[in-house]
Amino acid sequence: MAVKSIGTYDFPSRSRQELYGDDQLVHLWFQENPWFCAAACFRAPKAMTWGDFWNALVVPFAEEDPDFDPSANRVWTLHGEPFQPRDEQTLEEIGVVHKDVIGMKVVA
Amino acid sequence: MTIAPKAPRKLTMKQRYEALTRDLDWEPSYVAKSDVFPHTEFEGIRIHDWSKWEDPFRLTVDAYTKYQAEKDKRLYAVLDGFAQSQGHLSLTEASYLNAMKLFLQGVTPLEYQAHRNFAYLARHLNGPGPRFAALCQSIDEMRHTQTEIHTLSNYNKYYGGFHNYLEQHDRVWYLSVPKSFFDDALSAGPFEFLIAIGFSFEYLLTNLLFVPFMSGASFNGDLPTMTFGFSAQSDESRHMTLGLEAIKFLLEQDEANVPIVQAWIDKWFWRGYRVTALVAQMLDYMLPRKVMSWKEAFELYFEEQMLGGLFQDLAFYGITPPKHVDDAIAEKEVLSHQVYWTLYQFSHAAAFTTTMPDADAQTWLSENYADTFDRLYKPLWDKEQKNLDAGGRHFVRGLPQLCQVCQIPMLFTEPGDPTTLCQRDSVYRGEKFQTCSNGCQWIFEREPEKYVQAWLPVHQIYQGNCGGATIPDVLAWYGIQEGDGGEYKGSVDDNNWNTWHNAADHSHIGSED
Repeated sequence: MAVKSIGTYDFPSRSRQELYGDDQLVHLWFQENPWFCAAACFRAPKAMTWGDFWNALVVPFAEEDPDFDPSANRVWTLHGEPFQPRDEQTLEEIGVVHKDVIGMKVVA
Repeated sequence: MTIAPKAPRKLTMKQRYEALTRDLDWEPSYVAKSDVFPHTEFEGIRIHDWSKWEDPFRLTVDAYTKYQAEKDKRLYAVLDGFAQSQGHLSLTEASYLNAMKLFLQGVTPLEYQAHRNFAYLARHLNGPGPRFAALCQSIDEMRHTQTEIHTLSNYNKYYGGFHNYLEQHDRVWYLSVPKSFFDDALSAGPFEFLIAIGFSFEYLLTNLLFVPFMSGASFNGDLPTMTFGFSAQSDESRHMTLGLEAIKFLLEQDEANVPIVQAWIDKWFWRGYRVTALVAQMLDYMLPRKVMSWKEAFELYFEEQMLGGLFQDLAFYGITPPKHVDDAIAEKEVLSHQVYWTLYQFSHAAAFTTTMPDADAQTWLSENYADTFDRLYKPLWDKEQKNLDAGGRHFVRGLPQLCQVCQIPMLFTEPGDPTTLCQRDSVYRGEKFQTCSNGCQWIFEREPEKYVQAWLPVHQIYQGNCGGATIPDVLAWYGIQEGDGGEYKGSVDDNNWNTWHNAADHSHIGSED
């Protein structure tokens, strides 16, 4: 169903990817960890490597949790599928697009 | 012979009302009616006879202003007395005022927006009856804006968080929740607005929105706010009557209106319910002296009064309870805890303070939420206690994912599974949009072209539109000053409160040392 309107109703998204240049928004969901009330939202270059994403953005955010262990075993998901990121891969190569949600779960 | 002039005939109240409202209406003769009232057709609502509108309150302007002036006089007398006797010192605790900061920043600006839109309805509805009713409500809403500002301005002299509420309403992340809710209604057509605000907000959810604040005031020594509440009460009951009359009128005019109205109820119940998330945490966590739990309030004011009462009556017209109402019911034992845990970890970027619930408060929570608090939320507070003991304080070092519709951080969990966050994903014109619940996703997908325009605070910060890239830059742009937000214990408010209450000599009250 479309908006019922008195005139033409056509406006661009206020968060479209082009507004971020070469960057995009990436969400990181700390599954089964209620310490963080919601998934985190980062702005990251599409060409950023996974290693840089992890060390420069995720770790400084996540280490505020006293139980955070950067070397713990983790299962990652993207678009509902598990994936295993390698440090030298870029976010784009991994297949992360603007506003994607990456799932992250610590496993024993 | 002279004829004695006839004594002027005195009109009855009803005749006076007719003469001063409906009798002032006329049929246009040289322009089309649709040119005079161009906004009442595009929504698809069919009205055959505007005169069938039953005036819920047969007020005339002179009677109206007389009543309101009397109520104002009483309120302002209380405000003066409270100010002169340093009444703020008899609050339960300074932390109580966090509820009022939220009210002034989040609710008062909505009163003003309601004033604007009812003024618009007072011009644009075809019938003189609903136009006059909208006019009265428009003036009421303006009066509520003013009396709330005056009531709470007393506290601005002594406490943080009150000084920049208008600009903050337009800018701060958690205030985008009530603001975007109302903007959604303001940008709808006149009939949708009537159902959104007149019916859903002012009738369906009004007791959940306003009563908790006013009861909280009465339980915590806030005489001015309580008096304001009483002063607004008779207006609110008129607004409720108008909301109910509006929906009945639309339903009775044409059967084709029923599905349109039903969809608006489905949408606006969920939109309004999401705003009450802020009320839920206020009741359970912000009030030093508790009134009732959110769960009890929800059961009484919504499940019992609305689902058990109102919707039984509306069934006659073919109206059913709002879509997704079961998801709201399923949330009643988890909602306030999840929301406060969120505000707690983001209050460094807010114009109110938060603190960890103390032992008594946790006992109360555990008694009132026997199935959930000890199992799901107490472990979090235990972990935070250890964190505090080690010199930490849980403030998130970054920004959260937001719901595209309600704009609340995506903190809500799957219906029936309080340990899994609810993530809903939609694609519109090749772009992804996330929502926090079945309700918000349904609303998004119904009118995606509306919600893609959402001014999401997190995205705006990342686009560089909020003063800069660092937290201090953004806080400066929000107009948040030292002492407005963060941890309550050891805050400016807490320190002043202790000084004022411990000192034998109170002559320095209001000064900073």
